[in-house]
Amino acid sequence: MSASKVVISVLGSDRPGIVAAVSRVLSENRCNIEDVSQTILQSEFAGIFIASLPENLSLEALEKQLQEQLTPLGLAVLLKPMHEAGRYAPSPSEPFVVTTIGPDRLGLVAGITEVMARFGVNITNLRAAFRGGSDPRRNVMIYEVDIPLSIDQQAFRRALRQRAEDLGLDLSLQHRDIFEAIHRI
Amino acid sequence: MLSDREILSTLEMLRSEHLDVRTVTLGVSLFDCVAPDVDLFCDKVRRKIVRLAQNLVSVCDDVGDKYGIPVVNKRIAVSPIAVVGAAFGREDLVKVARTLDEAAQMVHVDFIGGFSALVEKGFTNGDVSLIDAIPEALAQTERVCASVNVAGTKAGINMDAVFMMGHVIKRTASATAHADGIGCAKLCVFANIPQDIPFMAGAYLGVGEPECVINVGVSGPGVVRKAIDRARKANPTLDLGQLAEVIKRTAFKVTSVGELIGREVARRLEIPFGVVDLSLAPTPNVGDSVGEIFQSLGLVSIGAPGSTAVLAMLNDAVKKGGAFASSYVGGLSGAFIPVSEDLNISEAARRGYLSLEKLEAMTSVCSVGLDMVALPGDTSAETLAAIIADEMAIGVINRKTTAARLIPVPGKKAGEKAYFGGLLGEATIIAVANGDLSTEFIRLGGRIPAPVQSLNN
Repeated sequence: MSASKVVISVLGSDRPGIVAAVSRVLSENRCNIEDVSQTILQSEFAGIFIASLPENLSLEALEKQLQEQLTPLGLAVLLKPMHEAGRYAPSPSEPFVVTTIGPDRLGLVAGITEVMARFGVNITNLRAAFRGGSDPRRNVMIYEVDIPLSIDQQAFRRALRQRAEDLGLDLSLQHRDIFEAIHRI
Repeated sequence: MLSDREILSTLEMLRSEHLDVRTVTLGVSLFDCVAPDVDLFCDKVRRKIVRLAQNLVSVCDDVGDKYGIPVVNKRIAVSPIAVVGAAFGREDLVKVARTLDEAAQMVHVDFIGGFSALVEKGFTNGDVSLIDAIPEALAQTERVCASVNVAGTKAGINMDAVFMMGHVIKRTASATAHADGIGCAKLCVFANIPQDIPFMAGAYLGVGEPECVINVGVSGPGVVRKAIDRARKANPTLDLGQLAEVIKRTAFKVTSVGELIGREVARRLEIPFGVVDLSLAPTPNVGDSVGEIFQSLGLVSIGAPGSTAVLAMLNDAVKKGGAFASSYVGGLSGAFIPVSEDLNISEAARRGYLSLEKLEAMTSVCSVGLDMVALPGDTSAETLAAIIADEMAIGVINRKTTAARLIPVPGKKAGEKAYFGGLLGEATIIAVANGDLSTEFIRLGGRIPAPVQSLNN
């Protein structure tokens, strides 16, 4: 069955029953969930669902039902058709981990990611990890990135280090394997 | 996805606990350089070393950069010169040492080991010439390291060689008297020397080793110490069994790093990977000390009663963790207690907690021996030889490597300080029993027979 696929994202304050509500609507409409991931940031829930759309159901019809069911629960829903064409095709790359440590201030993420974007470095995971509790200087950001083999590695490193220095951040860039070697068997 | 804890604890190990790869050592066989003429031999040696090692430093730096873990030292170990240069006399062998020094300088490595002889059962002519050439060779070069294996569990102790080394150490000290006898810091006397040590001054490429090979020495006393401190802070009721587990797990991590980096260096250089030597090797930097681990385990200082038990536990836990992390473990693999190279151990010697006798006792349960021990300048060749003989006996009977790196500091007495600089550090001179206490014994010579291999008590 080569049914068309739909991407559904759901945002809202976290509480029990959000995934149940979304999946019930999908199930009632014979939309099979093919992939799903959720995360909770502070008190906020974000979920992303990829589901197949049966031939007799339009995207608009599904969206209408989801809105009707989920909006009263205070959840924001966004649907978009998933296209095969025009998708980003990653070039051969190596996985690295970038961490920055330093006082929080406006524009840190923008500054670091601008360099990454300029070199075509794709971020595969990004999160803030706070260490040292109340110490604002120990603000830690962790970026897992794929660095294309085709770019000038030294130039990228230099640019990234320079940007970190300008932002007052202590930056490290290490191949992902080192973390696996140290912590996993 | 990596967890935050995995990433943050790795960063911590790097930034404040001195996690690094202590040395990547390229082994180079010189067997195919053998030539009847010393100039031809030197020419072949120089060309071979430069050919194989020209990219060693840059590749190590690149790989270190990729993983964010520095490779602190890059070194070279060659076939024992007493074997490949057996046809040469003393003068020619000094010339060979100078060639090794030049070759090391050309490829920017700080030490090259293998000015070595294996004489546990007796001397060849080449061995005698090489041992005779050691003082001059070490005085005329900066980077060359020498080692002589004088004993083995299956051969016994060559006491003639032991006595000879007593004299060689004295001559080396006086040839480098201007720098507190620093030549002796580059000279190790061994029992049961392994063929694949990556650490200096004992590194050489054994005769059973391949054409060329990459061996890696990992370290990390700072990482082990911090792991113990963290564990004890989190749970003050931990006992020694649980703390041994903490050390074991830490050794696993450190060894995994060494193997990952060593293998990548080997792959890029297209040279086979040999072993990881999982030793706790200190440097004279704060926080990079083996001695501090003793304090973290509740002793006032290394050298206090209980030190031998702590070292036995530490050494064993390091081996267990390392052996699980890598199937190719070799070299010395254990804890080093080099007096001058460890600020904390050096301080223990200064404050009188650490005597020569206690050091000797500790070497019966760790991986090396009397390492970087500064002695009074007037210590006789016979007394030096007798100290070496004791150390060799510990290795021979316990089927393990032991070594003596003794420095009789010219013109200085017990309690004074010797300064070697850089990685070699500085040390307070330790007292040795005065007088001709062992002369008659040492002059008896001969070979102490190999010990029986059963009746193990």
